Amino acid sequence: MFHLELLVVGLIWGAMYAMMALGLTLVYGLLRILHVAHAGVFALGAYAGVLTANATGSLWLAVPAAIGVAAAVGPLIYRFIYAPMLSRPPYVALIASIGLFIAMEDGFRLLFGPYGLPFDYNPWFVTTYSLGGISLNVVQIAMAVSTLVLAGAFGVFIAATRVGVAWRATVSDPQMAQSFGIDPVRVRYLNFAIGSAMAGAAGLLVGLLNNLVEPGMGAVVSYKGLAIIVLGGLGNVPGAVVASLILGVVESFGTVYLAAVLDRDAIAFAVLIAVLLIRPRGLFAPAR
Amino acid sequence: MSLLEARDLSVTFGGVHAVRGVDIAVERGELLGLIGPNGAGKTTLVRLLTGAVRADAGTIRFDGHDITRAPAYARARQGLAMTHQLVRPFRDMTLAENVSLAAAHAVTARPLAALLRTGRGAARRRAGELLERLEITEFAGRGAATLPLGVQKRLEMGRAIAIEPRLLLLDEPLAGLNQTEAARLADLIATLNREGLTVVLVEHNLAEVLRIATRLLVMVEGAVLASGAGSEVMRRGDVRAAYLGESRAGTGEGRGARG
Amino acid sequence: MEAYILSLVVFGALNVMLALGLNMISGFCGQISLGHAAFYGTGAYAAALLSISGLPFAASLALGALVAGALGLVVGFATLRVREDFLAITTMGVGFLFLGFVRKQEWLGGEFGVAQIPSPLSPLGFAVLAVGGALAMVALSLHLRRSWMGEVFRAVAADEDAASTLGVDTARYKLWAFVLGTACAGFAGGIYAHVTGLIVPDAFDFIQSVTILAMVVVGGIGSTWGVLAGAVLLTLMPELFRFVNDYKLLIYGALLLAVMRWSPSGLAGLAALVRRALRSSPA
Ligand SMILES: Nc1ncnc2c1ncn2[C@@H]1O[C@H](COP(=O)(O)OP(=O)(O)OP(=O)(O)O)[C@@H](O)[C@H]1O
Ligand SMILES: [Mg+2]
Repeated sequence: MFHLELLVVGLIWGAMYAMMALGLTLVYGLLRILHVAHAGVFALGAYAGVLTANATGSLWLAVPAAIGVAAAVGPLIYRFIYAPMLSRPPYVALIASIGLFIAMEDGFRLLFGPYGLPFDYNPWFVTTYSLGGISLNVVQIAMAVSTLVLAGAFGVFIAATRVGVAWRATVSDPQMAQSFGIDPVRVRYLNFAIGSAMAGAAGLLVGLLNNLVEPGMGAVVSYKGLAIIVLGGLGNVPGAVVASLILGVVESFGTVYLAAVLDRDAIAFAVLIAVLLIRPRGLFAPAR
Repeated sequence: MSLLEARDLSVTFGGVHAVRGVDIAVERGELLGLIGPNGAGKTTLVRLLTGAVRADAGTIRFDGHDITRAPAYARARQGLAMTHQLVRPFRDMTLAENVSLAAAHAVTARPLAALLRTGRGAARRRAGELLERLEITEFAGRGAATLPLGVQKRLEMGRAIAIEPRLLLLDEPLAGLNQTEAARLADLIATLNREGLTVVLVEHNLAEVLRIATRLLVMVEGAVLASGAGSEVMRRGDVRAAYLGESRAGTGEGRGARG
Repeated sequence: MEAYILSLVVFGALNVMLALGLNMISGFCGQISLGHAAFYGTGAYAAALLSISGLPFAASLALGALVAGALGLVVGFATLRVREDFLAITTMGVGFLFLGFVRKQEWLGGEFGVAQIPSPLSPLGFAVLAVGGALAMVALSLHLRRSWMGEVFRAVAADEDAASTLGVDTARYKLWAFVLGTACAGFAGGIYAHVTGLIVPDAFDFIQSVTILAMVVVGGIGSTWGVLAGAVLLTLMPELFRFVNDYKLLIYGALLLAVMRWSPSGLAGLAALVRRALRSSPA
């Protein structure tokens, strides 16, 4: 029972990681940028959500607020920060992104205080259901469900819609895509909007789960997100999802069985380094 | 014993069988022209021989030693040099610095010596001589990234010669040069060969290849189709069909070819 | 007041050592590292424990640098096969792994770190030592750039595969870069531990790694004088503008972003522009 519970809780965390990692890997696949500031968008979504919820008293309104604000900011980051740097060596955008993230984090601290904002009213946090003997609150269930729904919707979008096909074409061969009349710049904006929306949703859910939105909440998730997309094979979307779930589970068991040697947040990187030693391009990348 | 002998070399990229079961022997002192249509696997073969790409199967012997598993730098030290079809200069170094670095190979082979030594004199002089022979002295102080393609091609050659190889593999050194330049560079290649350097010349400029090569090898679809004296090989029907059928043979136009 | 200035001098000099060490790895040799603080921490912990166990100060410092360099060698070895973005993330991972490991080790003091490290020098003595060390590293860095090793580093940074076709064992050179750069960090760590008398894991976290990187890029990645200026500038900035202190991270972040956005070659790049402008318009 105990192990089953660890597994379920691990999968739920993994689902949250997947929501973060999808955006990261989308950006990497398209632009070869390690988008550390994605974690800033994640925290921004959470802040937008908690401020809306506390102002209106409605958690339901917090959802579009978190998603909307995040989806609006992502493309702006592309437009004003990454777009002018695309021709530079890759470390330029990476360092700029780290800079932006640190500045955002500190900005949240200065604006909303170092101790964070709790939700005044969070029924989803206290309502729990028992599923097969494992008790989960509504937020945890929402995490699992929304990841399934979002990942599924994204899969359908990529496979079946015109825009999705354009997106795939742009990832695999931008010039070819352009010659078929696909505007690669619009695809990039869309990419940032979708990825950021997911990060905003994930941020809100994590805020609800901890019943607290704090300035540093994005940091660890963001660095782990990078570990995940590397594990999944940079730019590989299904790989990122699978790696997220694996990591969630490994962490969940690790906090019990590795607690004496490593703290939870280092487990991701221990796994990462171990895997890269054997497969230098990640778990799911082709060998060459 | 041949200088270089490869047996049954194969490599695939994803699904593409780029080189399939190639046997090749390069004799001491020859200037072997390696020709074939686009995508025939010539570049891949060169990269297999120099260790830039690892073979899935097959063996390579150089001067009697098995080098199949040797890394690229070790093969270079044994005397295998190559130029890249798609030029790869060290971009933020000058032309002279690019060639000097190669000329300093005796120092750079030992990191501790490299850490202790700063003197550039000998390497600079050697590089200067090579630039002179390649007729690019006037560009010596320019940043490598800013040079015209023709000069970058010769930079590639200068770097390769500077490591004092016994076998020089040239991947389309004439592409991107105009006709006079191409003829002069071909003359230089022939001269280097007469001075004792064994050369494998991958080239689409058939006129120049036929003029200077001592033997011709034709690759098609990853395999060796024919080998022998230039005029004989070019008379063969299968060669004409495979090669001349689809190409602009002999025009030697500068193509921005693939790697 | 004097104590304040001396401690400022010490920290400035430590930052110079850290930044120059990272610059050897990332600037000269082109191997981006996001985990430099781990080696700073390794040197600090090693030297502190050795001093506490009774070893003379000088020996502890030297061994601290050695241990950090040895870890650098191991990490370098482990990361030889990963490149560019993979390398950046892996070195970031090394930083987190270091922290996650140290926090859980009782013999390293866990979360609370190591206290009561002997302080063998006066504040002035430490300042002289740190500045001397920093100057030695400036000299090393300038020499390295002029040496053939520096030239090979440039080639490896530009195009590793092309360098190996010229007979360069690129892996060995990358390991040299890692060992030299991380040993510099370890040496700085040893001094740091003895100056403060107390070290905690969080002093060597990711933000510390990013701060070192900030000094390198603000100064101008690859330029010894630029990196020196960057380290001094970022050490003094919070002190000169007291009001900045509360906004320190905001400013660090914004500065990194702004430099990358408008002047990716940092102060050194700006200086080169100014020099060129002066030369082309004779007064
Ligand atoms: N790194 C690689 N990844 C995938 N496919 C490759 C790679 N290198 C070569 N190929 C494929 O292998 C085949 C042989 O290519 P190669 O470059 O060796 O031909 P080539 O004879 O040099 O052609 P060209 O005359 O155009 O230079 C081609 O189909 C090419 O697309
Ligand atoms: Mg070719």
